[in-house]
Amino acid sequence: MSREVLQGTLDLMVLRTLDAMGPQHGLGLARRILQVSEGILNLNQGTLYPALLRLEQRRWIRSRWGISENNRKAKFYELTARGRKQIGEETESWESTVSLMAKFLARPTGGE
Amino acid sequence: MWGRFIDVFRRRRLDADLDSQLAHHLDALEAEYRTHGLAPGDARAAARRDMGGLTQVRDAYRDQHGVPVFETVWRNIRFAVRASRRTPGLTATIVFTLALGIGANSAVFSAIDTVLLRPLSFPDADQLVRVIQTQDGARDTWIASLRLEDWNRLSSSFAAITGYSVEDASDTTGDLPVRVRRARVSPRFVQVWGVAPAAGRGFTDAEHRLGASPVALISDRYWRNRFGADPSVLGKSVRLSGRPYAIVGVMPISFRFPERDVDIWSPEVVNSPYTRRQFQTYIGVGRLKPGVSLTQARADLARVQTELAEQYPDTDRQIGTRVEPLKETMIGGARGTLSLLFAAVSVLLLIACTNIAALLLSRAARREQEIAVRYALGATRAAVLLQLLTEVGVLALAGAAAGVFVSLAVSAGFRVLAPDLPRLGEAGLDARMLLYMMALAVLAALVCGLFPAVRSSRGAAALAGTGRAHVSARHPLLWCLVGVQVALSVTLLASAGLLLRSFDKLSRVDPAFDSRHVLTFHVSGSYDEVRDYDRVVQRIHRTLDELTTLPGVAAAATSASLPGVGHRNPAEFHLVEGRAASEPAMVAEWRNVSPSYFETTRIPVLAGERCQPKPLGAVRAGSTIDVMVNRSFADTYLPGRSPVGLHLATNASIYRAGRISGIVGDARELGIDREPVPTAYFCDSIPSPFPWFLVRTIGQSTSVVGAVRAKLQAIEPLRSVYDVAPLDERIGDAYEQNRLRTIVISVFAVTALSLACLGVWGTLSYLVTLRRREIGLRLSLGAPRVGILSHFLGQAVRVAVIACACGLALSAVFARVLSSMLYGVSASDPATLSSVVAIVLGVAVLAALVPAARAALAEPMRILREE
Repeated sequence: MSREVLQGTLDLMVLRTLDAMGPQHGLGLARRILQVSEGILNLNQGTLYPALLRLEQRRWIRSRWGISENNRKAKFYELTARGRKQIGEETESWESTVSLMAKFLARPTGGE
Repeated sequence: MWGRFIDVFRRRRLDADLDSQLAHHLDALEAEYRTHGLAPGDARAAARRDMGGLTQVRDAYRDQHGVPVFETVWRNIRFAVRASRRTPGLTATIVFTLALGIGANSAVFSAIDTVLLRPLSFPDADQLVRVIQTQDGARDTWIASLRLEDWNRLSSSFAAITGYSVEDASDTTGDLPVRVRRARVSPRFVQVWGVAPAAGRGFTDAEHRLGASPVALISDRYWRNRFGADPSVLGKSVRLSGRPYAIVGVMPISFRFPERDVDIWSPEVVNSPYTRRQFQTYIGVGRLKPGVSLTQARADLARVQTELAEQYPDTDRQIGTRVEPLKETMIGGARGTLSLLFAAVSVLLLIACTNIAALLLSRAARREQEIAVRYALGATRAAVLLQLLTEVGVLALAGAAAGVFVSLAVSAGFRVLAPDLPRLGEAGLDARMLLYMMALAVLAALVCGLFPAVRSSRGAAALAGTGRAHVSARHPLLWCLVGVQVALSVTLLASAGLLLRSFDKLSRVDPAFDSRHVLTFHVSGSYDEVRDYDRVVQRIHRTLDELTTLPGVAAAATSASLPGVGHRNPAEFHLVEGRAASEPAMVAEWRNVSPSYFETTRIPVLAGERCQPKPLGAVRAGSTIDVMVNRSFADTYLPGRSPVGLHLATNASIYRAGRISGIVGDARELGIDREPVPTAYFCDSIPSPFPWFLVRTIGQSTSVVGAVRAKLQAIEPLRSVYDVAPLDERIGDAYEQNRLRTIVISVFAVTALSLACLGVWGTLSYLVTLRRREIGLRLSLGAPRVGILSHFLGQAVRVAVIACACGLALSAVFARVLSSMLYGVSASDPATLSSVVAIVLGVAVLAALVPAARAALAEPMRILREE
């Protein structure tokens, strides 16, 4: 799979990951997403950090400086109440998209 | 979106944030590789490889924290500034034109804002009203203090009613007497204004009663100048006409009422046994109770006065009341003048905008190629439109900035031309004005930019073959804009012409008195002196005698009011000898003058004899006095009778009757622009202890000022001479608003005409340039040069003629506003209007001649070779 990810899906992945793991720094998030996707989704930093900033601007996550496990200053991101609500909405819309796409893929119209 | 907006302002911090996050990321990766056993240098390199291009990361991050619209606008502005620098001549013209338009407009608006819109500087100023007494159904008179007390006591819609009378007093606290303005005030004065003294207290009720020791409030200015801002001033005293007044308070610096120059307020004694309901010297002011409307207050006061009329039929039967907002009475006639100026200055701004629109249109044509390239490179129409509008916006803002200076200059001009315009002194450049100018700039940018921008963002699809295809299509629009300019300047010029004509008429009027070589002034005095009336009479007669002995002085007189400055004082007279009941009531202007008034002002005695001053002791209440009437009095009220020897009486006078001793010529006492009305001159040299003195001089009236001062210092060392000015000047000042209107509108009109000329010239030059090739071709094919000249000239003249017609129609609308301000010339004066049209046409032809001649004199071969 390519490194390009659909914007909406990345948002949902980040939110969901934060929801599951609690506050995380950028690297941790990238690792976790890589792990969950079983090595398929190796996020580019140029994708991850703008996405985090975007989510912060929408007030779905917030950030503060903290100390990472290897004793370094790192920025930790965590979910806000708004973000938690958003997960519900995004999940719903994603599921409807998936089921819609599934219908198309199950019954291909026309043929070669 | 909002979060994004905020982030625009913290981009540096965000960048730093990202850098430290990336650094953390890099370190963590490197550490990981090292645990896998890589050498430090290799681990670092591997970590870097994993991270990818840091610059790309930063760019992507920045894209997220900037607001694209913001950055586009900023880029457009930078581009606009560069574009305007490329055409410095055009830019300068546009900025200058806009600066003129916006600056002049905001100066006039500033005057309107200060004079008309802003409330007076008192707490709840909209509750303040002037209570006015009318007598004999029409004229406004001053009010007896007793009646003011009655009004206050009996009315229910006023929180309080008070009054004041202002007079000059001689302050003898120091070594030399100084003239001060003193207001005698009724009880509740401080309460009505709602302004508490800055130090001390207001007057107590007891201080308004007989036998109280005299007290005074002083102004902040007086406190600083006379007492050096002494903090222990309370309890000290000022001496006025020899009596000490204990200072009980100092008013705040902002309190300058009833007149700017009042320095001392002292309480009026309301229960003096000498006070009469006929002693009418007060001006009334009231504060309405909250929530009470003007209509209610008017009805209430009218009811009170009806009751008083029953109680005191002799004095109160003829008296009516009016209640007006205090602000309106202070503004006076300034509203009309300022509205006219605002209309004129808005027309000027409109001309400026039209002019700029035409300039931009022709510039846009030259930029067609550039715009076409933009489209070809994928710009959207909105982007191009926004770019073009930004360019105009930048120009407009520059114009507004330069307009600040124009505005300051125009405002300074106003103050010179109309120093007495009420409240104008309060005007100044403040945040409100800057905001107004900004708004004007945006409006101007839209008005003059939108049209050319929309137009040039539309057609420019073709990259090649610029110019030629669009030339013919653009003519009507350009000429239309020029036409609007010419039409509007015809309107302004017509107004200016009419005002100038009436100004000229006014200065040629024979007022039937001679105001040249007359010096006027006051000598300080006080009503306190009236206790010993004979002494006042003696003093003023002696002053007149001594003035007459001065070299260079031909005559000297006293009078209650000055001729020609519009002071009205009508009264109803009765003829003691009786008149038929069918004859009209004798309403006439009533003037108090010394007998020498007629030779001093050169009003001729036509019949009978000049009145005689009465010997001492004879001029006092209840006695008979000589009266002179003017010719129109005699002709209107006493036709077919010999007026000399008849006796006139009036309710309003303290005299029992006056004997008519002669008839004088009809002088324009009420103002140069007013026809003389029936007038009765009571020959009383002492209408008040401080009458106007008029001195006729042989040479320049100002040449005797020194001698007059020296003489009065010698004979009246305790009195001050003040308010010295030639009569001519005072009459000129009375027409100050007239002068302001005339000069300002003339300046506006000339500016408008110059702009319109610029428009004609610019447009025609542009068209000639566009059609250069065609002209060259025609000439080389043998077209006569005269033909080319008349072709271009004809275009301009046709537009100018149509525009003049429209302009004339428009001036008919303007004339309706103007007609009340004209004298001796009708608003549709054919001579003025036709000369305006002739001037505009002439100037337009001249402006068109230059480019037309350039076209006609072109060298065909040179032009054709250029291609």
